[in-house]
Amino acid sequence: MSEAVASCPHRFRAPGAGLVEVAVLVGALAVLWFAPDFAGDYWLQLGFRTFIFIALAQGWNLMAGSAGLVSLGTSCFVGLGAYVTFGLLNRLSLPLPLALLICAIAGGALAALVSPALFRLRGLYFTVGTLALAELLRLLMVIVSAFGGASGIFLQEDPPALPVLFRYALVVALIASLAMTLCARTRISVILRAVRDDEDAAAQMGVRPYRVKLGAFVLASALAAMAGGIQAVKLGAIEPYGMFGLQWSIDVLSMVIIGGVGMRLGPVVGALFAVALGEMLADYPELHIAITGAILIVLIRFAPHGVVGLGAKLPLTRRMPA
Amino acid sequence: MTTMDAQPLLQAHGLVKRYGGLVAIDHVDIELRAGTITGVIGPNGAGKSTLIGLIGGAVVPSAGSITLVGRDVSRLPASERARAGIGRTYQIPRPFLDMSVEENLEVAQYSIAPFIRAAAARDEREALLARTGLADVAGLTARALPLLRRKRLEVARALALKPRVVLLDEVGAGLVDSEITELIRLIHSILDAGTAILIVEHVIRVVRECCSRTMVLNFGKPLIEGPTADILGNDQVAAVYLGTGGTRETQAAGALAPATDRAIHVGAAEAETKVLAPLIAPAPAEAASAPALQLAGICAGYGQARVLQGVDLTAQSGHAIAILGANGAGKTTLARTISGVIPPTAGALLIDGQDVSGRPPHQIAALGVAHCMEGRRIFSTLSVQENLLISARGTDAPTARSRLEAVYDLFPILAERRNHGGTSMSGGQQQMLAIGRALMARPKLVIFDEISLGLAPIVMDKLYDALALLKRARMTLIVIEQDVDRALALADHAYVLEHGMIALSGTPRQIADDPRLRHVYIGAAEDAATGFRKS
Repeated sequence: MSEAVASCPHRFRAPGAGLVEVAVLVGALAVLWFAPDFAGDYWLQLGFRTFIFIALAQGWNLMAGSAGLVSLGTSCFVGLGAYVTFGLLNRLSLPLPLALLICAIAGGALAALVSPALFRLRGLYFTVGTLALAELLRLLMVIVSAFGGASGIFLQEDPPALPVLFRYALVVALIASLAMTLCARTRISVILRAVRDDEDAAAQMGVRPYRVKLGAFVLASALAAMAGGIQAVKLGAIEPYGMFGLQWSIDVLSMVIIGGVGMRLGPVVGALFAVALGEMLADYPELHIAITGAILIVLIRFAPHGVVGLGAKLPLTRRMPA
Repeated sequence: MTTMDAQPLLQAHGLVKRYGGLVAIDHVDIELRAGTITGVIGPNGAGKSTLIGLIGGAVVPSAGSITLVGRDVSRLPASERARAGIGRTYQIPRPFLDMSVEENLEVAQYSIAPFIRAAAARDEREALLARTGLADVAGLTARALPLLRRKRLEVARALALKPRVVLLDEVGAGLVDSEITELIRLIHSILDAGTAILIVEHVIRVVRECCSRTMVLNFGKPLIEGPTADILGNDQVAAVYLGTGGTRETQAAGALAPATDRAIHVGAAEAETKVLAPLIAPAPAEAASAPALQLAGICAGYGQARVLQGVDLTAQSGHAIAILGANGAGKTTLARTISGVIPPTAGALLIDGQDVSGRPPHQIAALGVAHCMEGRRIFSTLSVQENLLISARGTDAPTARSRLEAVYDLFPILAERRNHGGTSMSGGQQQMLAIGRALMARPKLVIFDEISLGLAPIVMDKLYDALALLKRARMTLIVIEQDVDRALALADHAYVLEHGMIALSGTPRQIADDPRLRHVYIGAAEDAATGFRKS
């Protein structure tokens, strides 16, 4: 794979740009890894939330921006991750990293399992299909008493301390970002863009659009399940209405739209923006929702490529196309 | 000729494609042998592009089989056929617009060989780009390329698949002579002992200089197949291009007979025109002096492609004007220019003596011009009746109702189907709906663009009977038509377009008798044919 990263010379981007991006990401990881030594709990809380959102938004951006799949099913995989993690920790007492890995596999597997039905539905119908899937899973958790029913499940062991959780979230966000770098900087990128731009013409070039879309869906779902698992461990108790709540899907969707759909930095900028806005307006929850709505409307109307797209238009900050 | 005994690379047997009631491809058998180039020609709507789609995998066959080197590929999706070695181009290029030319090729390269060495892939791309004359634009986005370069990119992309079978869909359309020469050289260079090429083409020169064998498609059926020289010299083939049914002689006689002979309700002309009254706007008082439509030196096109190069044309009020010409001559562009869909870049467009050049289509429509567009453009989500009513917007309910009744009188089948979906009907019924919809606006002048396209002769008769009625009711008709005989039988005056200019004009009889007409349609085929007979 390392050869693939390095070996994509291109007139639009300097050779090795992918390596630079990887280096920046790993550098950021190193700095943030030691953040618990000097930052207070408040900042670690914010960081944790931002990392979870970055992981979710990266996956969502891959689906919508690269494969044209607009999903409202984020909550479905977040919830799945939460329940799988609790099951593995409570019943089998597995170590957390292993539980999270199995979580990711479960998320990907569920995505692969439902894809034959969901991919039959194009455009808006795919979106509605993912929404229905989330509802389906939530009702399943409510009805089946083994899953704790409507009241949910408690984590039996004590959750790890905040600095540890912060680092887990950081690693998941890093994995998501590295995966996206790989998709954007290697030969996978042309295949993804081909499917997004003209699925039929891509098929005529030998590209299998179904597999490409499936790949994006599976990867995004695995990331969402992992993020859900960590989030659940931090909460210490989960119940169906919170973990499978539509709010997850809506938050992630609006983050990516605010940051810029299909833009490389869109999810990161969007997640930072959403967390910062949420903090500033923490005392006025109604105002928070209203302002987010207003920002969405203005951005969709005047800056369809989001904050990042807007920034790229300014002459001083002109950057390479995503 | 040397490979006649070899097993064909690709073999299609009994191919059928139906779209609802329309049969686009009707039991076609075709064999592509390694080392040969096969041509497919035929008039618009004959099913040529559908055939390419069927072989390439974009279109799912209703029946029949396709085998590639002994392997049945009929049920494989397009992506798998591309991987199996079938490369195709699109008639209207479909590059990935926001990718560079090189990246467009990478899509094909990396999809068939994801782990190809970067240097090898680059060398391959460079060779391909040099061969297709795109080396100097390798780094540009496809969006920046003009149409002709995009066509070359189509070919380069197909070749990046290293295909064994190459399907070229109208790659020569819109090219000038020198470019055609280059294209022919390129096509010959693609061909090697292990490759077969299928060319669908209207530029007869490409077919003549490339294809060893040629098939003529008409109404989705193979009409005739054989060595190219024989096919291009064949009278039956000429008839397919020039008109439907009957020999040239009887049709020429028909052209002189009054249109009433062919009308449905002979002898009730008075009553008919009364029935049509709600649909036909009275000609203005000054109509006697100013022609209903006048074009002076009209130039128009799309972006860099200049299609019309100074067209002069006059249509007197109440006359029927036929506009003829081969594919790509600019007929549809002319229609679109008259109705204001594309603004002329030079020249003047006058309606009833009033200069309307550059006005938007809705303003021109308000002056009483209706455009029955090529391809019918029926709103598929609306019923038949809703499709009709949409162009009577702005009128009161009783007026709309009376127009509706008049359309239903003209085409009773539409009344029967009034609550059906607009596109659920057969091709002929849809065309009636398109005509009816144009009439619902109560126009003075109607442009009919290729209304007989892809229809059976008996349906064409019905449509042309309706047009004859409209003409007798003193409506001005502009009839754009592939079917020369039918158009000339109706018209008072005819124009023949070639390369965006009027090549011939005159009375139907003058045009029908002019030997240059045949030349305009099938190029220098006759010369080749005579040459062939001599040898």
